[in-house]
Amino acid sequence: MPDPGRYPGYDVLRKRHTPSWNDKTRQVVDARLAVPREPRFFTGQEMAMVTAIADRLVPQPRSRPPVPVAALIDDKLHKGHEDGFRGDGMPREREAWRRGLAALDAEARARHGAGFAGLPGPQQDALLKRMEQGGLSGPAWGGMPSKTFFKQRMAKDIVFAYYAHPTAWSEIGFGGPASPRGYVRLGYDERDPWEAAEARDGDAGDAQRKNRNVG
Amino acid sequence: MSDDPRHAPRAGHGRAPDVFRPGAWVPMREYGEDEAVDFVIVGTGAGGGTLACKLAEHGFSVVAMDAGPYFRPLEDFASDEAEQSKLYWTDDRISTGENPIQLGSNNSGKAVGGSTVHFAMVSLRFRPEWFKSRTLLGYGFDWPLDWQEMWHYYHEVEEALKIAGPITYPWGPPRPRYPYRAHPLNAAAMALAKGCEAMGVAWTETPIATLSAPRGLAHPCVYRGFCVTGCSTNAKQSALVTWIPRAIAAGAEIRDLAMVGRVETGPDGLATGVHYHREGRWRFQKARNVVVAGYSIETPRLLLNSATARYPQGLANSSGLVGKYLMVQANQAVWGKMEAEVRSYKAPPSLAITEHWNYDDNKDFFGGYCYMSQGPLPQLWANTQINAHGLWGEPLMQEMQDYNHQVGLKIVGEMLPQERNGVTLAEDKDQYGLPVPRVSYSWCDNDKALIAHSLGFMEKALGAIDATDIWRQEDDTCHLNGGARMGGDPRTSVVDADCRSWDIRNLWICDGSVFPTVGGVNPSLTIQAIACRTGDRIKQMATRGEL
Amino acid sequence: MKTKQAGLGLLGSLALGAIGIALFGREREAFPPRRQLPDRLALPLPDQRGAERLRGLRRGDTPRSPFQRWLGLPSSPAVSRAARVRAARRLNRSAGLLATSVLLDSALEHYRGSFRNPAMYTPLGVSALSLAASLHGTGDPRSGRHPFRSALYAAAAVTGIVGTGFHIYNITRRPGGFVWQNLFYGAPLGAPMAISLAGLMGSAAEHVRDDRPGTAPRVFGLPAGRMLAAMAGGGILGTVGEAGLLHFRGAFHNPAMFLPVTMPPVAAALLLNTAAAPARRDRWLTRWWLRLTALLGFAGVGFHAYGVQRNMGGWRNWSQNVLNGPPLPAPPSFTGLALAGLAALDLLEDEPDA
Repeated sequence: MPDPGRYPGYDVLRKRHTPSWNDKTRQVVDARLAVPREPRFFTGQEMAMVTAIADRLVPQPRSRPPVPVAALIDDKLHKGHEDGFRGDGMPREREAWRRGLAALDAEARARHGAGFAGLPGPQQDALLKRMEQGGLSGPAWGGMPSKTFFKQRMAKDIVFAYYAHPTAWSEIGFGGPASPRGYVRLGYDERDPWEAAEARDGDAGDAQRKNRNVG
Repeated sequence: MSDDPRHAPRAGHGRAPDVFRPGAWVPMREYGEDEAVDFVIVGTGAGGGTLACKLAEHGFSVVAMDAGPYFRPLEDFASDEAEQSKLYWTDDRISTGENPIQLGSNNSGKAVGGSTVHFAMVSLRFRPEWFKSRTLLGYGFDWPLDWQEMWHYYHEVEEALKIAGPITYPWGPPRPRYPYRAHPLNAAAMALAKGCEAMGVAWTETPIATLSAPRGLAHPCVYRGFCVTGCSTNAKQSALVTWIPRAIAAGAEIRDLAMVGRVETGPDGLATGVHYHREGRWRFQKARNVVVAGYSIETPRLLLNSATARYPQGLANSSGLVGKYLMVQANQAVWGKMEAEVRSYKAPPSLAITEHWNYDDNKDFFGGYCYMSQGPLPQLWANTQINAHGLWGEPLMQEMQDYNHQVGLKIVGEMLPQERNGVTLAEDKDQYGLPVPRVSYSWCDNDKALIAHSLGFMEKALGAIDATDIWRQEDDTCHLNGGARMGGDPRTSVVDADCRSWDIRNLWICDGSVFPTVGGVNPSLTIQAIACRTGDRIKQMATRGEL
Repeated sequence: MKTKQAGLGLLGSLALGAIGIALFGREREAFPPRRQLPDRLALPLPDQRGAERLRGLRRGDTPRSPFQRWLGLPSSPAVSRAARVRAARRLNRSAGLLATSVLLDSALEHYRGSFRNPAMYTPLGVSALSLAASLHGTGDPRSGRHPFRSALYAAAAVTGIVGTGFHIYNITRRPGGFVWQNLFYGAPLGAPMAISLAGLMGSAAEHVRDDRPGTAPRVFGLPAGRMLAAMAGGGILGTVGEAGLLHFRGAFHNPAMFLPVTMPPVAAALLLNTAAAPARRDRWLTRWWLRLTALLGFAGVGFHAYGVQRNMGGWRNWSQNVLNGPPLPAPPSFTGLALAGLAALDLLEDEPDA
């Protein structure tokens, strides 16, 4: 049996038809859940690489359908949504991703003789760590600092994509959408009946029962 | 007509969206482009929105333009961090320097109402001495404003926004009672309070611009916690739901999706109007006065982009100070975990505050800071963990499991004005074909000393309430200010105390860029107070024929 | 939109009014000839009242209490058994209304507090039992103290005091202790006293009902009418304090929020005057002001129902707004206390010095 997690049985989508969600939110989250899985900005190979990187940065349990991190990033880049600033030496977002992926893949091939997506996890981690510390600087980077790409672009886009998904909200016990209904009980250890219940002291049963009735 | 306010303007044809009633409209007066209006205002945020209201209520003809959409909060705002990034100014900008600052979500809004649509609503007064910090405290620059006069305008803004605040404020000279009562503390705020009590410093409920009781057609706060991604309740008293409706009722015209690219000047050197891009083409609005209120990046950028043969350095820039002395505020945090559930995603993020170190001068650095309780939503929190805490992979996923137990304290700290920090024009062009701004920022030693002091103090405060796994977020800044500062001397400032440019008497700058120093509190209340004062001063000058 | 909301408010107040009238009406079945329901809301003709009073009056001397001596009052004469029972049942009714208000209010507020302390169930049980005792008493035509009812009412009075202790403790352990924040949002200090008032009114009912021929009705050893007037007046003042605090928290954003801090204090003043001033037969102003105050309690429910609608999501978002909006069950406390005041007036009119 898979680990029931900290918030057993909690699914933020159960609140979809309660006053916690307004029409706009339903529309936005529905669109996100239906994000096209076929890449529109990335190439198939880039997409596989983004998936491989995301698997290292935000590893997902096999016991549930995965959050389509790469597809969400592809969607954002396809639509051209940007952050509104970039560091010195950083190209704009689409170009940064293209170049960063190509450069990382080139590093993988140069060091291990295989593309990044085909490397075993520990080797992938080691490369990513070097990148985070700014230790990658081959010609494919074209002057783009690997550290800046990691922090400002790649890691940010990956965690933003992952934590934009209701599955991730449920996983961490986040209340999720909240309008028109917000919250009543605000103090320590205070939980509204429409919030996730945490399994404490190993008692998952009580939390599970409460989480089934969230609504 | 598209229903997406980002694709087609909503204001026009004699009406503007009624932000309080779904699908409804309010009548709006309109002005012809060839008709020289008394004032065209560029930007509708804390500075421009407020001034548009004041000037319209004083009887001037006003057209206020914003590059952003005209949102209907009740219908357009989702409870969703990703979707609500539509509120941010995400046009291309380059950020550089030793300590490059984050823009976009952090401090830049693109909407009618400006960044007040997503601000954290913290509404604090300056410490009186800060208006004369050079003379009284030995650093920065003196403002050409008198604190007692500002006290009067602070009160005006607090009433206009129905600020919810404590019955008595522990610091500074007495102030009138806040119009609405403080909100209940959430657990995150109680943590701050307990920490302060343990450290022996005062704390109080943060005065914030979100309703604690109904007001007109606006609902009180429901503690949904999505404040910095836009309030779908209308409890947040942003310019969009306060000053702008008043301005329209008083006869002002708002033009949404109107990006001003250039202020035009005539042969006499005076401003004649603005070139703006709307509905796919460039247009020109004639005006007798132009007010630039685009905040500390866009204001200098517009002035620099408006250079002519007569003003080769850009408008209002004979001092060479346009785009200089940009200031952000330190925004460092200390985070920890509580045994109990905190669930800081509930309620406005900063319900409790201590301004102790703004008023205690027994420190080894200049300036001060306040700190407040925090409530980051999942995307922001995960990004903080991966970027500032350096966690990814399993450690990140484990850490995120403790999301509901996280507690944090975050400062708004005064950084010193430095000439090297500022805005210039880059080679790259944006979607309108205008040069994008290049923003450069570096901390000075005093900034670093302030940050070190605050981190040390907050770490002790969190430790005192038995938080565990305490760590420091050392690299974050917020709020923009400066870049076109006010002063008493045309050689060392861009505008005078009335926000009127020294060089061009019908060109005004009214937003956070006029700040000579930044103080250790969130700037929005001061920006609005200055705008209220400027509105009153313009009326007085008009009466005396001094415009 | 506004009319719809106002309509909802009106409906709410009518519904609660109906409950109130149902409580009023119980007396009619037991005592058909005494006073018809409509009479209660219309000014009775003076001579008709006088005749009734004469019928119900039998004089007898009793020793003066220290309180009476201190106030320079004459000794209390005796009042007929029927008049006493009538007054007692009115007091039962008043206690019942107060208990209802406490039952609903504490249920709501303690549900909001997730019943985190098992003691939070206590006021629900005690007020429910008080309500039962009050319904029983309202329908009971017999004279003489009822031991179960007396015990329940005494328990209610004690519960309020213990509850106040709990609430004080709750406030002291919040950051800041006794600061406005905690008075606004911590456990409400004044609330538990409402159940004490219900207990006191109920105990008073049992005292008044207690049949000792040839004695004047007394409550806790003092003349019943005056004592009750004082208790009701004091209770109203306390309730005004709580309403004032919470309406101040709401920044008196609606002018109607001034009503409960202006009208009831006058009622309290009139009642305290009744308690202390020399005997007077005709207290029409007090009587009418109390009736208005009783109505205000019901109208308050309507206003509060409108207030719930006024919050984000309105009644559709009831699971939040019933808890975060203005408390629906709170205003009828005024009605309960005003009814107690009216009962006191009746006792005094039946016998001016009771």
